[in-house]
Amino acid sequence: MLGLVALLLSGCGSWSWGRRSAGPVGWGGADRQDPALSGNGRVLASVVRRDGRDTVLLQEQPSGTVLPLRHLQRLEPHRSPSLSWNGRYLALLVQQGPERRVLIEDRVTGRLHRLPLPGGLVPESLSLAADGRRIAIATEGDGRSRVQLYDLTSLLEPDLPAGLPVRGAPAASP
Amino acid sequence: MTLGVRGLVRALAVVGALPLLLAGCLAPLPQPLVGLNQRLEAAGPARAPSLSGDWLALIVSRDGRDRVQLVDLQRQQPVPLPGLERPDAQPLSVAVDGRGERLALVRQLEGRTELVLYRRNLMALQPVPLQPPGVPRRVSLRADGRELAVEVSRQGQWQVDLIAVP
Repeated sequence: MLGLVALLLSGCGSWSWGRRSAGPVGWGGADRQDPALSGNGRVLASVVRRDGRDTVLLQEQPSGTVLPLRHLQRLEPHRSPSLSWNGRYLALLVQQGPERRVLIEDRVTGRLHRLPLPGGLVPESLSLAADGRRIAIATEGDGRSRVQLYDLTSLLEPDLPAGLPVRGAPAASP
Repeated sequence: MTLGVRGLVRALAVVGALPLLLAGCLAPLPQPLVGLNQRLEAAGPARAPSLSGDWLALIVSRDGRDRVQLVDLQRQQPVPLPGLERPDAQPLSVAVDGRGERLALVRQLEGRTELVLYRRNLMALQPVPLQPPGVPRRVSLRADGRELAVEVSRQGQWQVDLIAVP
């Protein structure tokens, strides 16, 4: 009951919603779309239209400092970025020739992981779990849209909040 | 003799490269979660997934209507979302936090597009005002549910707002 009252009160005005712009993209009045926050909120990915090309932009928050990406140039347009907890992994869709592909860039090791999909399925959007253990991919194909989940544990190390033990790791000795 | 040494070097290079080549061929692949995928497939055409922790939010089409569905991945079952759905609302984008507690939703209702926040423990929906006003489209929620990022159209330009969730 108290919770409901607090909710009602907080909905009475916009004062309770702290808000800010995601900051300048550095390219004038470019459109900025497809936002995705890292699990801890310290990295924002968005897709910025520059010279008619959709390019993913990674920025530290709240400073707006642009973070470098290693592999993704020449694979535009980019769409549907998604980040892990600390922003170590950036999953997104890229265009490679006539094919739209699912890629994950590991910003720590610099590795690029390609996720093959069954033939005939075109990825439309994706969402990476914050710990990097799973990914959900929405596809079109065979005349219908579907969402499928994939286990990434054999591919990626977990990206966890600081101090959280890795599942399956040996317990520390006393 | 020189040729023999060159041949030996080449052979060693090939042997040395073999593990690398094999590693490339045998690189681990993401494994589809077959049981869950079958259940999702049976639920109907689906799009716009948001995955966080053990929760998957998505938009499912059923009986000619689009609905928000929240799936508990541990139990492999959808959970009820009382107070979220309206038969006259069209969901456009959904995002879930890592505890499956908060959902941010962009929906069309009565000719307007709005951003709302749903709290599962309260079974209550709260409008999120946009300042300055604009038309929201895609929304993303931080895994801890404390902040959302939303794409907003204002005067013909797409912008991203970051909004702290009280």
